[in-house]
Amino acid sequence: MTTIIPFGPQHPVFPEPISLKLEIDNDVVVGALPSLGYVHRGLEKFIDTKDYIQTMYICERICGICSGIHGITYSRAIEKLFNIEVPERAQYLRVINSELCRIHSHLLWLGLFADGFGFESLFYECWKYREGILDVLEKFTGSRVIHSMSKVGGASRDLNDEQIDHIQKALDTLEPQVKNIEKVFVNNYTVKKRCVGLGVMSKQLAYEAGTAGPTLRGSGNAIDIRDTPDYDIYRDLGFKTAVGKDGDCYSRTKVRIDEIFESIKLVRNALSKLPNGEISVPVKGSPTGEAIMRAEQPRGEVVYYVKGNGTKNLERLKVRTPTFANIPSLLLMLPGVKLADVPIIVLTIDPCVSCTER
Amino acid sequence: MGMLNLILANISSKPVTRLYPFEIRETCKEAKGRIIFNSENCILCGICQKKCPADAITVTKADKIWELNVFRCIMCTECVNGCPKNCITISCERAKTGAKEYIKILVPKVDTPKTDSPKKASSK
Repeated sequence: MTTIIPFGPQHPVFPEPISLKLEIDNDVVVGALPSLGYVHRGLEKFIDTKDYIQTMYICERICGICSGIHGITYSRAIEKLFNIEVPERAQYLRVINSELCRIHSHLLWLGLFADGFGFESLFYECWKYREGILDVLEKFTGSRVIHSMSKVGGASRDLNDEQIDHIQKALDTLEPQVKNIEKVFVNNYTVKKRCVGLGVMSKQLAYEAGTAGPTLRGSGNAIDIRDTPDYDIYRDLGFKTAVGKDGDCYSRTKVRIDEIFESIKLVRNALSKLPNGEISVPVKGSPTGEAIMRAEQPRGEVVYYVKGNGTKNLERLKVRTPTFANIPSLLLMLPGVKLADVPIIVLTIDPCVSCTER
Repeated sequence: MGMLNLILANISSKPVTRLYPFEIRETCKEAKGRIIFNSENCILCGICQKKCPADAITVTKADKIWELNVFRCIMCTECVNGCPKNCITISCERAKTGAKEYIKILVPKVDTPKTDSPKKASSK
């Protein structure tokens, strides 16, 4: 006989309200049903009252952690609509901002994950290192969380030599620190005991379920939007996709740690190759037509669809966020695991509910 | 041995946290702290009101009032970039706690030189 128990929306391990109705049979999960809608804000409808430049600030507020990449993706979608070529320096600045966002997001997630299985000191350690990156972002963009660095037509802020030095010094400090926490996440007995062989998704199943981001790459699929020809300049910077092989929670954690090192390398390369020139081009008129733009967020692939009808407001804005793609695969992972392991598996998809519901 | 090193390092190192409110973190000069409005050159054109995505600025031309709702402001600096007279600037200092909800400023009368409008000029 099975019992249905509510898991969330308020739960100690959840940073955001996601509700799962778990069907359990003697401490083993048999099925799960998600329930969303607790933080729905109607942002896609709200853009009816704002013009397409103001909409960028609304898109940045979809999520607090990956706000920079939301803004950049929206700007790129509008630029595609206008058929505008953005200056090369602005593209490099966007890459630097995106990768710094990714580092701080992954460090935040590693901390939350450590807290999820009760490793408090590791949680504090991860968040302590994240502070250094937030300071860098404050010096670069002017604010620590919602950056507003990107704008339609380029970038709103430039980097000077002093800021470049600050970023490089911060990365030099961060790299040994991340290596330090990597040792714990990879070798620690407790972490291995909680993560290895848990929530396994095969390569084929992860692909078929439409999984995105580190959850997909943790199962052995080398799919990353940054590695596609239409995505900015990542290939020039020597980008390599981080891939896991086992498809379990341990593999997903390792992918995220590898991505931090990859992002550090990308920021360093971008700073060394930063070209001179303008940082933005003027954008005037009202957009007509439709455009789709994809980008790789810390959690996975985000898709922006914009449709303009010649007025100053967009007719439609649609966002597909990575967590929305990862929820079906989460439901496939849960059957067969014990109730005590459910928080670990839910955390490994890095759920961002405010992104999903908007 | 690793544990002993960790203990010694923690004893000899400085604390990670600050003794707030006695030690207040210094903001960098690039930080977006708060909006400062200088009413001397303001011509009440209302561009800042149109550009603001959060509807935080209200310009009343009849009463010559420029208002900023601090709690609505999202620090996007669109108003700073849009102001044709450079009246709005941004300071790196953060607003202190318990600040008033509104910044309400009466704009003094500015003597703008009277010029003929382009329509009149063309008709003549």
